[in-house]
Amino acid sequence: MHKLKSISICEETVFSNFFKSNVKSLRNYLYFKYGNEEQANDMTQEAFIKLWEKCSEVPIEKAKSFLYTVANNATLNQIAHKKVVLSYAKNNINSDKTNFNPEFILEEEQFKVKLEKAISNLTEAQRTAFLLHRIEGKKYSEIAEIIGIGIKAVEKRIHGALVSLRIEIEQIK
Amino acid sequence: MKENYDLAKWLAGEMTEIELNDFKKTPEFYIYYKIADYSSQLKTPPFEENQLYKNILENNKTNIIPLYRNWFFKIAAIVVLFLSITFVMRNFITETQSATSGKRTTFTLPDNSEVVLNAESQIDYKKWNWSENRKLTLKGEAFFKVAKGKRFEVTTLLGKVTVLGTQFDVKARKNRFEITCFTGKVKVNYKHKEIILTPGKSVTFENELQINSKVSLTKPDWLDNKIAFNRDSLMFIVDEIQRQYDVSIDIRTNHPDDLFTGKIPTDNLDIALEIIATAYHFKTMKVTPNKIILEEK
Repeated sequence: MHKLKSISICEETVFSNFFKSNVKSLRNYLYFKYGNEEQANDMTQEAFIKLWEKCSEVPIEKAKSFLYTVANNATLNQIAHKKVVLSYAKNNINSDKTNFNPEFILEEEQFKVKLEKAISNLTEAQRTAFLLHRIEGKKYSEIAEIIGIGIKAVEKRIHGALVSLRIEIEQIK
Repeated sequence: MKENYDLAKWLAGEMTEIELNDFKKTPEFYIYYKIADYSSQLKTPPFEENQLYKNILENNKTNIIPLYRNWFFKIAAIVVLFLSITFVMRNFITETQSATSGKRTTFTLPDNSEVVLNAESQIDYKKWNWSENRKLTLKGEAFFKVAKGKRFEVTTLLGKVTVLGTQFDVKARKNRFEITCFTGKVKVNYKHKEIILTPGKSVTFENELQINSKVSLTKPDWLDNKIAFNRDSLMFIVDEIQRQYDVSIDIRTNHPDDLFTGKIPTDNLDIALEIIATAYHFKTMKVTPNKIILEEK
């Protein structure tokens, strides 16, 4: 069988498309992991720069795992762990929950605050896996690939995250 | 239950209907439901995707320069390394000066001290820090005209000679260790003995035997193309002639230990042989220009 000449990410259009479809996931993954926005952005940039430099050595199908490997191997000398700060999408609240009474709405708002607090108190491993699933909508298999662990380990982290979140939220009550 | 990570299963929507119904009946279900619902509404702080992309491409452009710079540094590093190795070779590595049979070598040390190596002799020394560390090793015989400075040390297999600015001759061949001082002061260490020589004094050690003698010369005879012997054995003299002329002498005598006192030229083999032949009544036969037989008449 004659194999077609494979697409090279050295071509800027290919690289640009690859960047667009992966930058958000990588950046948010690093943000979930370290809670430091600036650092996450810098590390994302660095990882893509490395990929761009080595574009001739990395085939397109390996580009994604190359990217995450670089990001995971990056040593953080001066990382300042901060709390992950997230916000709620506003439109959802207006759409289907305005029908409820004000007391209920207040209760829900309080719950959201508690949830946010509980998320920032999760361990790095649990938080990263949980948020990749909830915010980035990644499947467990994708999360496993990103972090570089097995699917079972991802499930364990997700499960653990849910248990921790529930306990934490109940305690705040 | 927890071993199955069923909450993870539920969150991924992988629970069977029965499992899901059971889960819904638990008191925790509602709070888990709310966690799942609200967490999916969360979002991260926004970031400038286009700016990031621009940075990546620009950073790469500037990275091209580091590549050249790398090349430059590589070459520079190689040059520096090469120069350092050369420097080390020139200074730290032991320098060797030698004179082969029938030859003589004159050279100056870094402090301008003069050394004349007699035939079949060798000197090893290090150029590095020479003025502070004037030490050399000698095999054979050499004449030194030492410039003023720190202590000057000549180490031989037989013993050590230490001096301040002076002129002296050291001979360390086989078991014979002979030192002659011409000017200045020379300290000689031989085994456990230590002797100080003043100008015109000479000392010879040979197999525990110490011979003190006087010389009236200002430099060794061999520098004037002569060798002086003072009650030396025939074998010793033949050895010296072989060395000086780079010849091989086959001596056929029953008295190899007979003593000889006198001078022999080092620039005229025929005269040298004639002197020996006359003194011992030998017949001289030149088999080839380099092979000589001396036989008792």
